[in-house]
Amino acid sequence: MAGRTDENIPTYEVANVNTKKIHVGSFGHLWRQNLSSCELSLAEVSGVDLEDEELATELDCTADIATEIKSLCSVDALKSNEDGEEADPEIIPEDSCLVTLSIRNKIIERRKEMAVDRAFRQEVFLHEMESCGLGARPEDLSDMVDEGELVLTLEVFHPVVYQKSNGNKPNVAIQVLGTQKLTELRDAIKCVSDLQIGGEFSSNPDLAPENICKDLFKSAFFYFEGVFYNDMRYPECRDLSSTIIGWSESHDRGYGKFQSAKMEDFTFNDLNIKIGFPYLYCHQGDCEHIVTIVDIRLIHHEDCLDRRLYPLYVRKHWFCTRKCNVCNIYVAKWVTNQDSLAPDDPCFFCDVCFKMLHYDTEGNKLGDFLAYVYVDHGTFN
Amino acid sequence: MNFPGIKEDCETFLGLFQATDSVRYEEFLTIWKQMKFNTIFHGGMRNLESNRFSRDLFSVVSVFFLPPYTFQIRVGAMYLLYGLYNTQLCQPKQKIRIALKDWADIEQFHQELVTAQHLDAVYIYRQLRRMRAFYFTGMPITLNFKSQKSIIPEDGNEAFLDVKDKISDLITTETLEEIMNIQEHYQKTKCHFSADKSQPDRSLSLIREDFTDNLQSLVEEFQLWKQEKKAPRTKTDDEQEGTSQESEASERARHLAQIKSKTYNAVTQAVKSRRHRQVQMVSAPTEVETYLPLSKYQKEKLKKAERKAELDAIKKAVTPLPKKKPVNMAAIHEEDSSSSSEGEDCIRTVFTPAVAAIWWGITFLDQGCNLRGCRGCDRTRAQEV
Repeated sequence: MAGRTDENIPTYEVANVNTKKIHVGSFGHLWRQNLSSCELSLAEVSGVDLEDEELATELDCTADIATEIKSLCSVDALKSNEDGEEADPEIIPEDSCLVTLSIRNKIIERRKEMAVDRAFRQEVFLHEMESCGLGARPEDLSDMVDEGELVLTLEVFHPVVYQKSNGNKPNVAIQVLGTQKLTELRDAIKCVSDLQIGGEFSSNPDLAPENICKDLFKSAFFYFEGVFYNDMRYPECRDLSSTIIGWSESHDRGYGKFQSAKMEDFTFNDLNIKIGFPYLYCHQGDCEHIVTIVDIRLIHHEDCLDRRLYPLYVRKHWFCTRKCNVCNIYVAKWVTNQDSLAPDDPCFFCDVCFKMLHYDTEGNKLGDFLAYVYVDHGTFN
Repeated sequence: MNFPGIKEDCETFLGLFQATDSVRYEEFLTIWKQMKFNTIFHGGMRNLESNRFSRDLFSVVSVFFLPPYTFQIRVGAMYLLYGLYNTQLCQPKQKIRIALKDWADIEQFHQELVTAQHLDAVYIYRQLRRMRAFYFTGMPITLNFKSQKSIIPEDGNEAFLDVKDKISDLITTETLEEIMNIQEHYQKTKCHFSADKSQPDRSLSLIREDFTDNLQSLVEEFQLWKQEKKAPRTKTDDEQEGTSQESEASERARHLAQIKSKTYNAVTQAVKSRRHRQVQMVSAPTEVETYLPLSKYQKEKLKKAERKAELDAIKKAVTPLPKKKPVNMAAIHEEDSSSSSEGEDCIRTVFTPAVAAIWWGITFLDQGCNLRGCRGCDRTRAQEV
C-alpha cells in the first residue's frame, strides 16, 4: 500500500471542484496494486456465492456458521416483505414511512394530471446515450480492452452558447481509454466549425466546393497543465501554440513557462492533470472548447469493452435545429444576406426552397443577394 | 441533488441501527423489513430517473461508510449499500463509487472486522467485492463544472460522528512509559552531577519530582471517566437519558403549555348583555372505544397502524420529542337557532358580513327603501305615477 503522501492519490485542491495535479498512469498503477486480479477481471460474474466449505475456510469458522451466515445474508431476504412475497415495483406501499417515497407520491400525482404521461424525447435520448455501448464485447478478442485499464470521462463544452440556458452550458461527455492517444479524442470531437465552407456562392450554388474547413486547416491543440499538445500529424499543420507561448514570454505575464509537445506522441496515461479543472481544446485557429476531465476510474466488466467504440459519447447536447424560413420543415442549408427576395436579413433556406426562390428554371440568378452555406448546430444530434 | 429525502431516510435508518447498539446483520434486516427500505426504488421511475436515483443514493450512503463516522455506523452503511445494491431496479446495476484516497480506510476497516470476528460483516464486505459492485475511481463524485452557488456544503450527521479523542492520541501507554524512563534517567544524571550522590542538588531541581506520577494518575482518571461515559447503554439507561434530555429541551415549551392550559381551563363569565353566548368547557376528544366486530379489512388496517406506531415509537426513542398533551380548550358553544325566540337576535349571534348583507336586503325589501336611485323604488314610483 502506497503511503498517504503519494502525490498521485487524488485529493481536493478546492473542495468539490478540482483535485491536485496527478499523473494519470501512476494513478491507475496505484489502483491495480491495491486490487486483486479477481476484481480487475473483465470476465462476467459467475457464481457470487461460495460453497459452504470454501466460505468456512475463508472466514475461518465452522461450516455450520458459514451456512448460517450465507442464508442470513441472502439477497432474497432483502427483496421480500414479511409475507414473503415480492411487492410490485410500480406501486408505492401506503404505509411507507420513507420521506423519499412521500415526495415521489406527490410527483406521481402531478404526473397523472398531465395530458401525456410518458418518457419525453429528451429523456429517451439521454438514456440511450448513457447506456449505449454498455456491456458491448468485441467479437475479435484483440479489440478487447485490457484488464485494469483506465476510463476517463471528459466533458467538452461548445464554444458559444446559442440558446438561453439556465446555468447549463451545452456540452458533450466522452469516455476515452487511458491508453488512447490525444489525437483519437481530437478526431472524435465534433464541432460545426470543422464543417464550414468558406466563400460566397450566390452566382453558382451547385459549384460550392466539397472540401470543408476540417480538411483545409488541420491544426489544433489541447492545453493541459502548462503544456500545449499540438496536432502535428500532417505536413500542413502549424504550431498554433507558438503565438501564445511567445506572447506569454515576451513580457513577464506571470503564467510561468509553457511547453509545447506533439499530440500524437501522448496517450492519456502520460498526462499530468487535475480532475475537474478546466482545460482547453482549440481548433480552426480560434474555435475554443473548454475541456474538463470529470472522472477517472478503472474499467468495469459491465462497461463497453470494445476498444474500437472508444472514444465513446455518453452524453450529447440536443440542439434545436434552425428550419428553412420558407417551408419550415427542412433544416436550413443556406443563409442569405442583403436579399431583395427575403423578408429577413439573414434569412435561412433549405436546399430546395433556396433554389426555387432565387433561380429561374435555367439556373439564372434572380434578384440581389449574397448566399453562404449554413451548417446547423443540430447536425450532430 | 435532485432527489430530496434520500439523506433523511438514510439517516433515519442509520439512527435506528445505531439505537440497536449492535453490528449484527439480523438487526439490520429487522429494520430493513420494518421500514420496507427496498421500496425506496418503487414508484414507477423511468430508466434514466432510476439510474440517477441509484447513483445519488449510493453517493449519500457511501459517505457514512467512511471515517469520521463511528465503527457501528460504518458497518450499518455497508449493510445498507449491500441491500440497496442488490435491490435496485436498474439494469445493468449502478455501481458504488470508491475513491482511491478512501481505499486505505476501507482496507483498514476490513482488517478491523476480521480481527473483531464480525463474520457477517466480513462476509457482506467480501460479497460486495465479489459482485464487483464498486467503481474504483479517482474521486467520490464526478467533478462536473458547477457554479459556486450550486455546490452545497456537506453537513454530516453529528450523532454518527466518531469523536476523536485527542488526549489518548497524545498520551498512550508507550509515551507515558517513555516519559517515566526519561524522568528516571534525568533524576539519576542530576544525582551524578551533584555533590551528594544520593540526592540531587537543590539548584538543579527545576521540575517537580512527582510530575510523572501526577500525569499517570490524571490519565488514569480520565480513562476511567471515559469508560464510565462510554459504558454500553442498557434499556433503562436509555429511558432515563431520554427523559433527562427531554426535560432540558422542552422545559420552556412545557412552561408555555402550562400557562396556556391554565388560561384555557378557566372560563370567564360573559357579561350580562352577552349571556346567551356563554362559554362552555369542551375537553379534547379522547379515544372512543368501540366494541364492534371488525371486518378483515379493518383488522388489517389496525395491524398496519399498530406497526407504524411501533416504528414511530422507535423513532421517538432516537430523537426524543416533547409529547403533546391533549389540552382542554375553551370553545364557544353553538346555540340552536330554534331556541332563540327572536330571529334578529339569532342572526346577530353569527354576525358575518355576508349574513349581514342578506339581513339588510330582507329588511329593505320588506319595508321599501324609498331611496332615489334605487331601482326597485324608482319602478314603484313610476307605477304610482
